[in-house]
Amino acid sequence: MNITRRAGMAALAGATALTMVGAPLAAQDDSIVVGGSLPLTGVFAFAGIAIEKGMSDYFEIANEEGGIDGRQIEFVYEDTGYEVNQSVAVFNQLTSQNDIDMYYGDSTGFAKTIAPELQRRGDMIMGGASFASELNDPEEFPYIFIPGPDYIQQVGILLEYIADENPGASIALVNSDTEFGRDPIETTKERASELGLEVVEEIITPPGAADVSTEVLRLRRSRPDYIIFHGYVLSPIPEFVSQIRELGLDTQFMGTFWSMDSSLWQSVGEAADGFLGVMPYRYYYDEEEAPMLDRIREMRPEYQATGYMQGFFSAMLMTEAARRAVANGAELNGDTLKSALSSIEEFDTGGIIGVPVSVKGNAVPFGRVYEFNAESGQMEPVSDWIELED
Amino acid sequence: MIIGTAKESYPADEALLTTAPQRVWMTIFVIALIAAPFVLSNYWLYLACLAMINVISATGLNVLTGYTGQVSLGQAAFMAVGAYTVAYLERSLGTPFLLNILAGGVIAAAIGLVVGLPSLRVKGLYLAIATIAASFILHFVFVNWTAVTNGNSGATLAPATVFGIELATYDRLYWLIMPFAVLLVWGAANLFRTRIGRAFIAIRDRDISAEVLGIPLLRYKLMSFAIASFYAGIAGGLWAYLFRVVTPESFPFLTSIFLLAAIIVGGMGTILGGILGAVFMTLTPELLRVVVDLASVFVPDAATLLSPVRTIVFGALIVGFLILEPRGLTEIVDRIRRFFRLWPFRT
Amino acid sequence: MSEWLFFLEVTLAGLGSGALLALTALAYVLIYKATRVVNLAVGEMLMLGAYLFFAFAAGWGLSAWIAIPLAIIGGGLVGGIVERGLIRPMLGESAISVFMVTVGLGSVIVGLVELVWGTDPRALPAFIDTSPLFLGEAYVSRKIAVAFVTAAIVIGLFLILFRFWRGGVALRATATDQAAAYSCGINVPGVYSAAWVIGGATAAGAGLLLGAIGGISPVMGVFGLSALVVVIVGGLDSVLGALIGGLALGMIQSWTSTYVGGEYTNVVTFGIMIFALMLRPYGLFGTHEIERL
Repeated sequence: MNITRRAGMAALAGATALTMVGAPLAAQDDSIVVGGSLPLTGVFAFAGIAIEKGMSDYFEIANEEGGIDGRQIEFVYEDTGYEVNQSVAVFNQLTSQNDIDMYYGDSTGFAKTIAPELQRRGDMIMGGASFASELNDPEEFPYIFIPGPDYIQQVGILLEYIADENPGASIALVNSDTEFGRDPIETTKERASELGLEVVEEIITPPGAADVSTEVLRLRRSRPDYIIFHGYVLSPIPEFVSQIRELGLDTQFMGTFWSMDSSLWQSVGEAADGFLGVMPYRYYYDEEEAPMLDRIREMRPEYQATGYMQGFFSAMLMTEAARRAVANGAELNGDTLKSALSSIEEFDTGGIIGVPVSVKGNAVPFGRVYEFNAESGQMEPVSDWIELED
Repeated sequence: MIIGTAKESYPADEALLTTAPQRVWMTIFVIALIAAPFVLSNYWLYLACLAMINVISATGLNVLTGYTGQVSLGQAAFMAVGAYTVAYLERSLGTPFLLNILAGGVIAAAIGLVVGLPSLRVKGLYLAIATIAASFILHFVFVNWTAVTNGNSGATLAPATVFGIELATYDRLYWLIMPFAVLLVWGAANLFRTRIGRAFIAIRDRDISAEVLGIPLLRYKLMSFAIASFYAGIAGGLWAYLFRVVTPESFPFLTSIFLLAAIIVGGMGTILGGILGAVFMTLTPELLRVVVDLASVFVPDAATLLSPVRTIVFGALIVGFLILEPRGLTEIVDRIRRFFRLWPFRT
Repeated sequence: MSEWLFFLEVTLAGLGSGALLALTALAYVLIYKATRVVNLAVGEMLMLGAYLFFAFAAGWGLSAWIAIPLAIIGGGLVGGIVERGLIRPMLGESAISVFMVTVGLGSVIVGLVELVWGTDPRALPAFIDTSPLFLGEAYVSRKIAVAFVTAAIVIGLFLILFRFWRGGVALRATATDQAAAYSCGINVPGVYSAAWVIGGATAAGAGLLLGAIGGISPVMGVFGLSALVVVIVGGLDSVLGALIGGLALGMIQSWTSTYVGGEYTNVVTFGIMIFALMLRPYGLFGTHEIERL
């Protein structure tokens, strides 16, 4: 063991001590501050990066138009790597350095972890990347909102579509063995039987499972008309799809929001053709009349992923809530912002969502079914905008 | 052995802190611990709380791995047991938090005894692998025993309360976590001055010889497992009060590796090692964040590199310390101490 | 469809994935046999192999039949580099320390892959025909069948090599008694390197088969843990144990996920391992070592 190596390790250890000295920035004016724990890296990075762009772009647009009653919106965020501990650390760091009014959280776990803290602070509302149905409860989570339909509602939109197209169809549910995956299972079964649909198979795949041949065998035996995947981003859906297609079953495959990005499906190729899914927002390339989409395409000439739309719409809801709260002459805090948010009704999103939307409970229960066209590499609408009544 | 500190009485020989500089440093350290919540910002207090929880768990693992030589890759699962126990008691029975945390430790210890049973038949690598298996089986229990754990969506719990004061902010939680950390580390330091602790060390150094010397292997190995799990359980219980939600994904397998890495980096088989390692490993991600923030001036999109770099640094620290500095940060500290002992007369 | 035919199909699917497990287990066994190191980074080396193939085939646009050998050679190189750079300095250290080095190595590989290729899951360019295969009436996924045949051939080859080839005998000799092997003129450090190179190559091969079936992502290394169960049950130093253990575990996992539920596979897998450890700590086909003071 020679000295230089030891010195190296010592230097490494010493470096930590040095960086402990870091004074928080203290720059405050009357701007409205939106904070964010964003998964810019890690397993959810593809969404996090898009979300960041979408939010920043919308705030830029809003600021150009004079901000909120003349007050500029400032967006401060840090990377979390999609780990709850990191998200909490970022939250604590940002809140101790800024006077934050609204926040974007990156996961269900983080939303649930920080909810009591939000309640205690009472000075902000929070949206995020999680559509967990559990969060759609204004009693329990008074300061949280979901920028779209929750997972139960998303699957509900799919079920309504199925019941409409093919009454009495049989469906199979394939979910990952995670909180995300298991979220809608119970309610989906009830909802399906209400709509006269038969759930013929329920499959739960362990996380990280790659080989799905035994699951395919089960699906082959039960021959469902529709298979609804939930709790995945991409893998292992393509493998399911290609194996089942090979077997000559004419099953329809369906997914929920996070597995609906068309660039992900483009890489899968031919097998992805005809994949259906629920999407709460328009796609970047949608051709229907939409001033906001035109604006986005002007700012960003290349395709933007679904996460971008999610971030964009989240920012839009936050801005609208703040605008209404300021217009009411209220001081910005959790209660005023939340009641301003809940007052949003028949709100025109500039075409980000095809119909005027309202906030119900903690969510915005609107969505539309799209189908993937492998030839054009795009998702194409196959239904009207569906609003869920409860 | 330090020259010039002649012991004149048995109590002096048995003391934990044998020299005047040690006592001075300890006093400074204690003052710093007490002053911290009045000085540090919320963010640093949060990190301090997290670091102390990791210190407790790492110290427990150090008892098992560093002192008894039984490698465990299941420490995170025992933390989860403690956290779930606390969550369950808090939610269903509403018992006082001190009782909950102790119960978390005791139940984790009981499960640790069961998981330690394979050490009767297997040791070394095989045992490490058995603990991996145990942690996956426990994970399955957390997901599926919904009556107690609330399954995948996890258990949310109310903050701990003392005389009607809610321990919800980090400056208050600090006063909950810090005493536990101090007491448990102090306890571990004392453990190795007893018959039990010395038996552990004998087992680590050569288990067959230890048995020949009259140390019942199974009993002591199980005891070591129980102590390590007790520490993990307490740490997990405190963790539950810090985050106030426990899900099966709260304590991934990676946390077990993290803790093992902490004692390797800190120095296995020393109390100081567990502390230094856990603090160092907790702060490293934050340190990297600062570095990346600085680098983002020169490298566009530096933020997107953070997570991979963190993973690499994490692995590199384990590999680097094992190859270059097997005795960890403790050895570095010792070297500095030795340097200053005779300074400036000899450098 | 009759219940028996279904059972047969499930079993065949299990045998297929079991063959992949066996192949991965082989990487553990090769390395352990020669160097007494349990390499927990096998799963990550497997992942790296799959990504190398991805880089050659999708990134450089090489034909799959060139990319496959390149990826396997790349895997071997990684094995060699790791042995020279990380394992050799640890000679004489306790088995646990070396084991922990491989844990750290796994983390480093994951980070490097994320740095270079990002974290998004990706599909490998297809190099296996996808039309379904029928054995009699029973359906078998062709990819799984290809994986099975490949794994069977490779493992068969290794069994023969160990028995008859000089290098294989040298490896066995080193495993049995290092000092004696030295005195017989066997290049022991060479054998060490060779074992890591071959182990790395095997892992890379298993990686591209696995990637072809399920796509690749930086977390696919967890597959290595299942294979670890195989080697613990089969015996860390037994090629035959890896084969039989792999196939058996594949079938058991397949049955479990069909008849009990996918969420039970992990718990059954690890339950079997603990049971096997209690029953035969050195594996069903492993060598019992006698400890001396």
